[in-house]
Amino acid sequence: MAWRALRRVGPVLAPRCPRFSLLLLPLPPPAPPLPPRVPAARRLATSSLVLSARKFTDKHEWISVENGIGTVGISNFAQEALGDVVYCSLPEIGTKLSKDDEFGALESVKAASELYSPLSGEVTDINAALADNPGLVNKSCYQDGKMSFLSFNNEYHMASRYHKWLCNSYFFQFNDVEA
Amino acid sequence: MSRGPVRVLRLGLRPYAEALRAQERCVEAARAARLPVPVPGESVVLSEPAEPVYAWGLRGGPEAEAAARLRRRGAGLAAVRRGGRITFHGPGQLLVFPVLDLRRRRLPLRGYVEALETLVLRFCRRFGLPAARALPPPFTGVWMGDSKLCAIGVHCGNHITSHGLALNCCTDLTWFDHIVPCGLEGKGVTSLSRELGRHITVDHVLEPFLDSFQEVFDCTLVFSEDPGD
Repeated sequence: MAWRALRRVGPVLAPRCPRFSLLLLPLPPPAPPLPPRVPAARRLATSSLVLSARKFTDKHEWISVENGIGTVGISNFAQEALGDVVYCSLPEIGTKLSKDDEFGALESVKAASELYSPLSGEVTDINAALADNPGLVNKSCYQDGKMSFLSFNNEYHMASRYHKWLCNSYFFQFNDVEA
Repeated sequence: MSRGPVRVLRLGLRPYAEALRAQERCVEAARAARLPVPVPGESVVLSEPAEPVYAWGLRGGPEAEAAARLRRRGAGLAAVRRGGRITFHGPGQLLVFPVLDLRRRRLPLRGYVEALETLVLRFCRRFGLPAARALPPPFTGVWMGDSKLCAIGVHCGNHITSHGLALNCCTDLTWFDHIVPCGLEGKGVTSLSRELGRHITVDHVLEPFLDSFQEVFDCTLVFSEDPGD
């Protein structure tokens, strides 16, 4: 069927020469489609130092560490995948968490999903604004919607496991270099 | 990924707590089955609550006084780790707990909830209720007009889902009068029996429901008694 289509457009494609007017020039095969790429920068970076310190887990939590205190939240990818967050429960201040412990839960679209601690530490503070305004997680997941603060008593290693997110999402391939 | 196996556990008439325990075993099996080989780590637990129970999700349940009143009416109370507010489960209702691996399915949580709604809508069309519709949040669920036919409330941990949906077949709807279902004032509840004008039991709906499940979640159903095998 493609050849019949080519035959119809053949005279247009063929070089302008009476001898070759019916020569069917095969079209090159179409290039395979490139994987969809989200534009690299969705927002202006307010602080490139903070951006460089933010690390992401495979569960789409992020943590950025300064002076032994880690700030934890969920990524833009996660908040979009969840939908409107209607409830956020966070641990008590003073709770000691091990890496991968459940540290809270979010509810959205009638779905409750757990949050897992990216590292071991003690909760020094939580974002109390999220109790009354859980939608901050959607609106500003890296600033006003950040969730909790952990202090680390021990040395920690972040380089190998938790790297800047780059084409490693289990949903689909994309570059998430959010500010 | 297509046509992967999903184990079906048909519990029949069992107390709600037993269905929750079977679900837990399925969740453990799903977590353990994260292997390259295609073992049926996913399952779906189907049951009909044997006794009336009011269950609520993460956002909390009734105050002590309201809880005591509900208990006096003969219902159990259960706080469960799922989305959604208070609702009723009891005889005549089909409880469906799909335990699926969203990471393997490459499905975001929001997409999974939409798939559950699609599943129920497809079942309703099959069953003679083409007017059923799903509404956007906060009215997630399947409705006939202003009355909810099927409630949805799920949980997702480590990308494994649990809890699911409750479809009223011939549920005694007066149990819902004592609560504000899902915290939505001014909305009612309905059942398949009420909408179709004839008595529909849970057994009547199992086959068409599982057919729709197979289509929407693109899987092969494997019937089994035990989540561990």
